[in-house]
Amino acid sequence: MISFIHANKKALAVVGIVVFLAIPLVVDNKLLIHLAILGMLYAVVASNWDLTLGYAGVFNFAHLAFFGIGAYTSGILTVKLGISPWLGIPCGAVAAAIASVIVSIPAIRLRGIYVALLTFACSQLVLLLLLSQPLITGGQQGLTGVPQLQIGDFRFRESKFAHFYLVGLLLLCSTVFLRRLVTSDFGLSLIALRDFEEYAIARGIPLARQRLLAFLLSSIFPGLAGGVYAHFLIVASPDIFGFSLAILLLSMVLVGGVATIYGPVLIGVVMTYVSELMASSAWMSEIFGVSRGPVRFMFVAVIIVLTMRFFPQGVWGLIKQYSARSRMTEPAEGEDRV
Amino acid sequence: MTPEAIVAIIASGLVSGSLYALMASGLSLVWGTVRMFNFAHGALVMIGAYSGWYISNRGGLAKVLQPLGKNITTNSADWGVLGDVLHPLGEWMLSAKGGFGLVVGVPVAIVFCGLAGYVIYVLLIRPFVGKPGADLIVIITTIAGASFLQNGVQVLFGPRYKQLDRILKGPPLEVLDTAIGLQEVLIIVLTPVTLILLNLFLKHSKLGLAIRAVAQNDDFARLVGINVNQIYTLTFIVSSILAGLAGLMLGGLFFILPTMGAEPLLRAFVVVVFGGLGSLPGTIIGSYAIGLIEQSSAYVFSLYWAPVVLFATLILVLIFRPRGLMGGEES
Repeated sequence: MISFIHANKKALAVVGIVVFLAIPLVVDNKLLIHLAILGMLYAVVASNWDLTLGYAGVFNFAHLAFFGIGAYTSGILTVKLGISPWLGIPCGAVAAAIASVIVSIPAIRLRGIYVALLTFACSQLVLLLLLSQPLITGGQQGLTGVPQLQIGDFRFRESKFAHFYLVGLLLLCSTVFLRRLVTSDFGLSLIALRDFEEYAIARGIPLARQRLLAFLLSSIFPGLAGGVYAHFLIVASPDIFGFSLAILLLSMVLVGGVATIYGPVLIGVVMTYVSELMASSAWMSEIFGVSRGPVRFMFVAVIIVLTMRFFPQGVWGLIKQYSARSRMTEPAEGEDRV
Repeated sequence: MTPEAIVAIIASGLVSGSLYALMASGLSLVWGTVRMFNFAHGALVMIGAYSGWYISNRGGLAKVLQPLGKNITTNSADWGVLGDVLHPLGEWMLSAKGGFGLVVGVPVAIVFCGLAGYVIYVLLIRPFVGKPGADLIVIITTIAGASFLQNGVQVLFGPRYKQLDRILKGPPLEVLDTAIGLQEVLIIVLTPVTLILLNLFLKHSKLGLAIRAVAQNDDFARLVGINVNQIYTLTFIVSSILAGLAGLMLGGLFFILPTMGAEPLLRAFVVVVFGGLGSLPGTIIGSYAIGLIEQSSAYVFSLYWAPVVLFATLILVLIFRPRGLMGGEES
């Protein structure tokens, strides 16, 4: 099956895009489209997290802060300064990139657990700073009244296609960018540093520069996604920095498969559906009463632990393993470099 | 700054310092021995507070037992011999109308925390001990565990705040015209006692010595016949009990809610990094230092800026002393 995919890559890509474009034409359920948009945004954030977490092997817990900074920067610029969202979103990406460099400078000097603690502290610091300036950021309630995206008189929220196609394009660009990156020499050097640090350094790979670049490159698309997220939901809320969303996105990376990119993209969309439908389905509310919101996070937690325990390679890792086994009997061809 | 303000700052600094010391010493102990970092430590604090509340308060277990007790006492006459046995049990259930009080609640909560810690260790940590990259995997599994417990408690008890009874009731203590609540005084006094007991346990009991031996070199500890896996488990249980104690103290001061462990856990992170992971004296000094810094910056700047000062300090410490202020070089 895998060899078939390799042989017909271009044709399959075209089919995929056509199917994608047709989805909002066929699906009439507003909730499902809304969740697809949310899921694709989360998939962007999760797959970029995979670059630092999976490929660089750096325990970066500040990743969601980049997403949040993108959302808040674009939100504040459009609400308080009145600039166009189309300018605000790239500004959010720039702010996220700057933040990623600031975080990575102390982080690349540290090892193991200390990286986790530092990045965790950094993301909390961003949250605290946001909460401490309620006049600008809206404090605990979040920044409301963020303008929606529009081109001329065409308002994105009034059409079910607009956000769907825009976010789909963002996800496509992000995924292509990430896949190119991780199969490039740069990506290979990150893997070398992760797996054989001393040897990689001895071969002349600059550890600090590569890790800093990994942080920087992993922050751009989440910054963009954050901006789109704020304009899509017309609010930037401090919940972005919360524990629950972090767990959800972490589960996307881990269940999808660490260091695969495709895994988090795929499972990012799937997990969003699963967790949101758990929160809104009727049978869940019958079993758990009104408090079914927490139940889905319990479910996500269980999934994470089971994944780490029984298939740490994740869904995409399993697919790759299976295909590698089936390829043994077939002649080798177009080998993936990772 | 008036002398009253200084006394108030010192008192509240010592209270927060005590809570951080109880939490951080547990974290540090586990790090030093098992080489794992438990992100579910805050959830154990919350478990300690909730289990203490559930047993001691009349809105907890006592409330559940009322209808059961009533059922037993009214119907036991029809049940024959079984009824005779169950009748006093039913009466006892009814008599527990006002809750079981802290005398029962605190010990039960401590035992329960030890148990909860054991379960966390067995499910989330033990399967990964000794595997490559285990310390980082365990971060993920314990974060997931913390999320599970937080949300689970919310499902069980609902989002409404609870509060533990105060252990000491009475007028606050007056120090230099500043009123300090008795609960606060109790915390300030009890924490050093607990920490001294912990120190005595580690230095003079056989198990404590075994914990320290494993912390120093687990291979040699194994050679002299110490069951390293049992010591890991024991360390984890001790650490969970310390977290539970912190929860019981916190629950008497503030409201009990599912996320109550998160904030102090963050502070405890700052502390262990500040004091150097794995060094118990460093951790304890760090706790009180952080408590005092936090409370004085809350006074000087504002409540909002205090944590910002704290985290900025942490980041600076990590930049210049990557192994903590008092942490030595790792061998």
